[in-house]
Amino acid sequence: MSTSKDKTQKNTQGRKLHWMQLDNAAKIYPAARTRNWSNVFRLSATLTEKVDVEVLQSALNVTVRRFPSIAARLRKGLFWYYIQEVEEAPKIMEESSYPLVKMHKPEVRRCAFRVIVYDKRIAVEIFHSLTDGNGGLVFLKTLIAEYLEQKYGVEIPAEQGVLDRREPPRKEEMEDYFHKVAGRVPASRKETDAYKITGTVEDRERMHLVCLKLPADKVKAMAKQYDVTVSGLFAAILTKAMMDMQRHEVINFMKQKPIKILIPVDLRRMYGMDSLRNFVLYMITEIDPRLGEYDFKEICYIIKHQMALGVTAKNMSSMIATNVAPDQKFILRLAPLPLKNLVMKAIFNAVGERKSCLSLSNLGKVTVPKSMEQYVERMDFFLSPPATLPYNCGILSYGDTVYVNFLRDIKEPRLELAMHEVMRDMGIVATVESNRGNKE
Amino acid sequence: MYCVKCGVKLEDTEKLCPLCGTRVYHPDVERGEASPLYPARKYPVMLHPKTVQIVVTTIFLIGCLVTLLCNLETSGTVTWSGYVIGAALMTYVMAVLPTWFRRPNPVIFVPSGGAAICLYLLYISIATEGRWFMSFAFPVVGILTLIVTTVVTLCRYLENGRLYIFGGAFMAAGLSTILVEFLLNITFNRPYAGWFIYPMVPSVLIGGMLIYLAICRPARETMERKFFV
Repeated sequence: MSTSKDKTQKNTQGRKLHWMQLDNAAKIYPAARTRNWSNVFRLSATLTEKVDVEVLQSALNVTVRRFPSIAARLRKGLFWYYIQEVEEAPKIMEESSYPLVKMHKPEVRRCAFRVIVYDKRIAVEIFHSLTDGNGGLVFLKTLIAEYLEQKYGVEIPAEQGVLDRREPPRKEEMEDYFHKVAGRVPASRKETDAYKITGTVEDRERMHLVCLKLPADKVKAMAKQYDVTVSGLFAAILTKAMMDMQRHEVINFMKQKPIKILIPVDLRRMYGMDSLRNFVLYMITEIDPRLGEYDFKEICYIIKHQMALGVTAKNMSSMIATNVAPDQKFILRLAPLPLKNLVMKAIFNAVGERKSCLSLSNLGKVTVPKSMEQYVERMDFFLSPPATLPYNCGILSYGDTVYVNFLRDIKEPRLELAMHEVMRDMGIVATVESNRGNKE
Repeated sequence: MYCVKCGVKLEDTEKLCPLCGTRVYHPDVERGEASPLYPARKYPVMLHPKTVQIVVTTIFLIGCLVTLLCNLETSGTVTWSGYVIGAALMTYVMAVLPTWFRRPNPVIFVPSGGAAICLYLLYISIATEGRWFMSFAFPVVGILTLIVTTVVTLCRYLENGRLYIFGGAFMAAGLSTILVEFLLNITFNRPYAGWFIYPMVPSVLIGGMLIYLAICRPARETMERKFFV
């Protein structure tokens, strides 16, 4: 059985470099990469002052030692990919006009994450095989804590997702827990195809980012009013927006497709584990417009109950059982990597992305230690859109603002506009900014 | 400031509304200075696909030129280099040419590939004075190109019916072996051997099985269940 094996290998300076197998969720990403797409996500923090790149580089040099599973590169074995800690921290990069530019193969092999600086903002872009959004957030917070300590001499305690940079990495942080929590009965992967947003497809290296900023208290009050979680509220808003879009596109309602939103579920809280690897699964909310007209309250009600039914430990264990089943077959493990890649890519293409309209990743309320608060103005999170879908949406709340980031590869901001119209009707007006703001 | 068209509140950095594209302007409202979310007109450093294509094309051209010069230097005329250059051009048309287009349409490039193969074979036929091109190579390559083009076209423009398409293609390919043997025999004056049965029977059986699966839903569902990965 494939468990997370953390081993070490000496580098040229005699320092032991950790290497480990990819966790169960990570295995698909190297195989599913395409010419235009690699699964990368971005987390960023905007500070109150311009970032000192030299100090940040020095902070990064310290921080990478603490995160051997994130400060890593992807390597190829005969049978599997594996990740290996980087020998030294990568150079801080300058921001370009476009976030989440594809990580090409040589780059992923050299170092599968980037640290990018622009004015007051520090961003990390991480290849999804290394970790998930929550793992990345711990890395970013710890990096900023080290930066603030070096720059301003502030003492920042190791709490609220900030790790102590001086302590060695803990074994449980590098563990792949999927095999430990897999259930006995595998769940079916069968899903119907979902509505697909269409538009004028543009270059994937130049994607459009639109950030909607919303007052957190209003969002919370709205969620309370409709008796849903914040993730549920946004899922309902996006569902309503996409239903409106589809109604205009497909006049014959019997030909309309279900509106499905994929919501990643953080398993750390559910199973009480502290991994810094990928430890996330998903649930899909679904509303079928062929069944009739839905008002917003009804959508919230359905999504609330779908989430309550879907997000249970037993259900998640059952889904994990399906995912880890191939890993447990010795014969399959013996297949050479190129063959595995072919098979995994074929499966991913067949079932991977048509089953939802977009993924809605909500990292929730992000907090930092008290002594850091005065230096961090804002935080953002978003993911690259899937290979065949045009949108992805990342949400987090920091301070008194909710940041909803849409990254898309089509020209027209159709979903953002439809979402704004739904929210405007509900009485919430978003403040909007984009990565093309300064271009007419 | 708010967008006059869609009503969204705009950051001071925005010159066009990011949602509806309306120009942000009000003669009486002075906008504050704000740092843009991302730097203007700064592109990521990357190897553009066009650069790769130019490099590959140059390598092809240099290869062809060197081959030609070597041949001329040693023989004084074009002999063996014609085959090498022809093969290189055929490979280029089939593998590299489609990448020059943003969304290469296989419905166009599959017949182009077939035409490239035909031209190459025609050259060999003329160069070797084989006289087998019109009676053998052209019809065989033509039929195969026709089958592949039909499959590609149907797969591209029809959403369903993959089993029918591939079933039909297998059957057509199987049946075309009769013609291949016939053309082979009349072109090269070979006696009738009947070898076409060996590729034809399995191809027609596979094709028939695929069409049966397409027609019979319970059988299809059983196969899906058994072969679900």
